[in-house]
Amino acid sequence: MTPHRVETKAPQFSTESPLKIALVEDKRDVRESWAKLINSFPDFICMCKCASGEDALRTLPPLQPDVILMDIFLPRMSGIECTTRLKNELPRTPIVMLTASDDDDLVFVALQAGADGYLLKRTTPADLRSALIDVLTGGAPMSSEIARRVVESFRQKPRGHDDNIRLTAREEETLMLLTKGYSNKEIADRLGVSIETVRSHLKHIYEKMHVQSRAGAVARYMSGNHVGQS
Amino acid sequence: MCMAAFLFCHPVFAEDYPLTKPQKLTPQAEKVVEQLGLGSWIWTTNFQEKQTCRFWKSIDVPANDPVRRAVLRITADNSYHLFLDAREIGEGSNWKALTEYDLTFLLTPGRHVMAVDGFNDGREAGVLLGMRIALASGKQLDVVSDDSWLVVPNTAHRWLSRSRPDAEWQPATIVGVVGQNPWWVNPVNIMTPPTLQPYELHFWKTTWFLGAVLSICIVALALSLWLAAKLALQTRAQELLDVERARIARDIHDDLGAALTQLVLQSEVAQTEFPETSTARGHFSQFCIRARAASQALDEVVWAVNSKRDTLRDFSSYLCKYAQAFLSDTAIRCRLDVQPGMPASVFDLSVRRGLLLAVKEALNNAAKHSGAAEILLRINKEGENVIVVVEDQGNGFDPEAVGGAGNGLQNMMQRLQDLGGACQITSGIGAGCRVEFRMPLAHPASRGGFSLRSLFNSQNGDTHERHDLDGQ
Repeated sequence: MTPHRVETKAPQFSTESPLKIALVEDKRDVRESWAKLINSFPDFICMCKCASGEDALRTLPPLQPDVILMDIFLPRMSGIECTTRLKNELPRTPIVMLTASDDDDLVFVALQAGADGYLLKRTTPADLRSALIDVLTGGAPMSSEIARRVVESFRQKPRGHDDNIRLTAREEETLMLLTKGYSNKEIADRLGVSIETVRSHLKHIYEKMHVQSRAGAVARYMSGNHVGQS
Repeated sequence: MCMAAFLFCHPVFAEDYPLTKPQKLTPQAEKVVEQLGLGSWIWTTNFQEKQTCRFWKSIDVPANDPVRRAVLRITADNSYHLFLDAREIGEGSNWKALTEYDLTFLLTPGRHVMAVDGFNDGREAGVLLGMRIALASGKQLDVVSDDSWLVVPNTAHRWLSRSRPDAEWQPATIVGVVGQNPWWVNPVNIMTPPTLQPYELHFWKTTWFLGAVLSICIVALALSLWLAAKLALQTRAQELLDVERARIARDIHDDLGAALTQLVLQSEVAQTEFPETSTARGHFSQFCIRARAASQALDEVVWAVNSKRDTLRDFSSYLCKYAQAFLSDTAIRCRLDVQPGMPASVFDLSVRRGLLLAVKEALNNAAKHSGAAEILLRINKEGENVIVVVEDQGNGFDPEAVGGAGNGLQNMMQRLQDLGGACQITSGIGAGCRVEFRMPLAHPASRGGFSLRSLFNSQNGDTHERHDLDGQ
């Protein structure tokens, strides 16, 4: 994945009510570092740090965080499984996967499982912040690789006339441009729409992917027949 | 003596007939013996009804005095099988008649083994024979049935071909002379079968030939077993190697990768603890950048060695990411055109690495010299080839003018040719530049999965290709 480029100046959030971030990460040092980084942004606060998926399922639903950052590899319950379960409890809360390596197979499974975006762990604080804002205001950026897989997955499973899981022409166009390496801004220019519109297309694409795959890929993952580590 | 009717009448008297005792030759019988060259009736002392008795004798034909004529006359009460050098000469079961075998051509100079397998149905038992050998020198040798013959126990194996007797073999016993009652003085009949010829030994029956064929078979068998074992071992070794590669990749990634990530995060945090203008903060910022680069380089090394990544699909996705990351630092836009549904065909490590380096070179050239606003990376699969195109609409160049050593193009082309691929550069001044790489999915040396050469040079190709993983 290329580092997430800041497309426009991030919208300013009121510091009076900072956005609540929850963190699920099993390694203590990493967890603490992430928390400190998040707390260093004036408009964000790390409200909860969970050490395991089980912990997160217990703690997070009543807290209603604004965004959840989830490590993809967790001992016992994996981050992907935890994401699927949390989505049932908190369907409106975006979940961003944290991955140590740039593994499209794994990221794609996580996105199908319900994640709304993904970040490399070595990402810079500025990119972390813009990714958080992206995921709150629309769809998180999607790399051309992931876009290609999304296109393929929608082509493989034409599911009748259910509009919930069919892409609109604009969404499909957006995806195709992403696979060709266009950035969100370039897509906006090309389609003659605003960058926010592009992001909302992305958001819908993510949502449709979740719906589309709830039965298939996730069930496969749950049964253990998933792509392994890198 | 056996006559069926007689036996029928007196079967219970068998034990009343012990061995006969030799008597004195009558003058008439003496004449017959002299004329026919016969010996005496011999048998074993352990007389039994329905008895088999084997007689054995070796004779030496002088090397310097070949046989001119050799005639063997034999009869037995009740029957015999006659062997010379383990070859069956004949058999008979009429004690009243003699059979005359001409053995002239069989008695070559050297040692010969005569063997008689006699059988007695009941009552008097004996074997009578005599062989008269006329030598070239005019000398005459008589080999007759007497107590110089040895009785071979029925338990002895391969006795026909024994060239030396066993110590426990007992001499035969003379049980009668010619003419002694109940045997004849003059044989009723003398039968003469045709002269026996030596076996014709074809070359394929000779020991050395059979030995040679046998050893060739053994060698061939051993060789194929060895090759099969080696193939199995090599296949196993390749599997182990793949597993090991994946394990190393995972270990590097898990341990080193996690440590580096942590380093990045902690120094980011540390950075915030200094005032914005302090030099320490600047240092930490640099530190973060370096650690991130190291982490990224590590990902690439892991990608390169991970056997799970030996697929075209993975290669294509990696190449796209690389191009995007590489061009994101420049003002040039990166455009991708990847064949949808890229198959997960196996893509050899050596080929994919060579192709990756070449494409990097092409991207680097385009970024440096083209001045184009956009570079297109196109990846397609055509049959068993993968085709990668790097294209720009920039300044272009005259391939003739640029050709020759000194630029990376020559190296690039050579590297691809070594891997069985091809590289075509189309450009002109002001006409942009198009570099097309066409590579086979499998390295030519390993195509077909199995080659004798690969067996004999076990895995050198692999080590050669793998030693310089530079993870650029």
